[in-house]
Amino acid sequence: MELDSLKYVWRTLGTQPASGKSPEEIRALLQRRSGGIVTRMRRNLTGELILIAATYTPAILFYFLDFEGRLSGIAWLFILLLAILAVYFYRKNQLLKAMQCTGCSLYSNLQRQINTLKKYIKFYVWSGTIMIPVMFILSWLIIRQKFPAAPGADLFYQLSGTPWWQHPLVWAVFLIPFTVGIYFVNLWYVHRLYGRHIRKLQDLLREMDEE
Amino acid sequence: MKLVQEHRLLLYKVCRVYCFTEADRQDLFQEIVIQLWKSYPAFRGDSKFSTWLYRIALNTAISDLRKHKRRPSITSTDDIPPALPEMTWPGEEEQQLQQLYAAINRLSDVEKALVMLYLEDKSYEEMEEIMGINQNNLRVKMNRIREKLRKMTKEATYGIR
Repeated sequence: MELDSLKYVWRTLGTQPASGKSPEEIRALLQRRSGGIVTRMRRNLTGELILIAATYTPAILFYFLDFEGRLSGIAWLFILLLAILAVYFYRKNQLLKAMQCTGCSLYSNLQRQINTLKKYIKFYVWSGTIMIPVMFILSWLIIRQKFPAAPGADLFYQLSGTPWWQHPLVWAVFLIPFTVGIYFVNLWYVHRLYGRHIRKLQDLLREMDEE
Repeated sequence: MKLVQEHRLLLYKVCRVYCFTEADRQDLFQEIVIQLWKSYPAFRGDSKFSTWLYRIALNTAISDLRKHKRRPSITSTDDIPPALPEMTWPGEEEQQLQQLYAAINRLSDVEKALVMLYLEDKSYEEMEEIMGINQNNLRVKMNRIREKLRKMTKEATYGIR
């Protein structure tokens, strides 16, 4: 098969009287949801954000309005958590926005996707890992404020008589192995989600580089 | 809208080259149109419109890597996409074209893009603009593809491996 001899056949495709899509049909296409990977990722992110906001807002209002405002400290802790999560969502959204440049050349778009996806994965893993001890400590503070510890009821109450420097040590002994475990779980999960995609993009780029 | 209509055949060709089933072609066509719509405000005319259009279409077809459906999963009649026009050609040309598509289907995604641009009579300069591969490398790749297609035809015709 000679490519040059097929140029004519290929070009006649363009001269066929095709009925094509009417402007209405094209407009209808634009009304549908995009199925692109980045668009789907952004949609999922919005879903997560709505879920978090829908869960936290009633809790915040509850602690502000009930108990004559005596437990408003808990509401503030929830607001702090929400602020941390807002930064997390903002950063993720920024990365997703930067992931595609469909108007760029194929090579630079692939490169951009790979680099941004790597940053996204790194951010996903680290934020997901760091968030665990932070959430744990904040949740403990919330619980502690709501239910003051009864003698002998929890480890950290029992520590109250011990020197101050032992407190972070106990936290560390408890939280470090847990956080390390979470790190590896996150790593595995993120690679399960995006690993194949990133490998495919890298293969394409490698093929384009080959001489 | 007008521009999409004017260039729809080009978009159909991209869909035909990158998708095996009609449902996938419809999906890809829709995705390309959406991407064109989104990206159009950023088009400043630095390159030819067709170059920009190819970039959008190929970027969507290649780097989006959506899962190809084996069967269309249409549940409601409202979801049925309007059919792409069936393109028919007289006997011999149609046969040649079918052979061409069959051969193209065996190429990698990058090679498919190069063959398409070559058949569209794009200069190496334009191909470089669209693909982002330097012209020397493009020439090497095109020669390799030509050779590959020749080999494939021989294999198909004479069963030679």
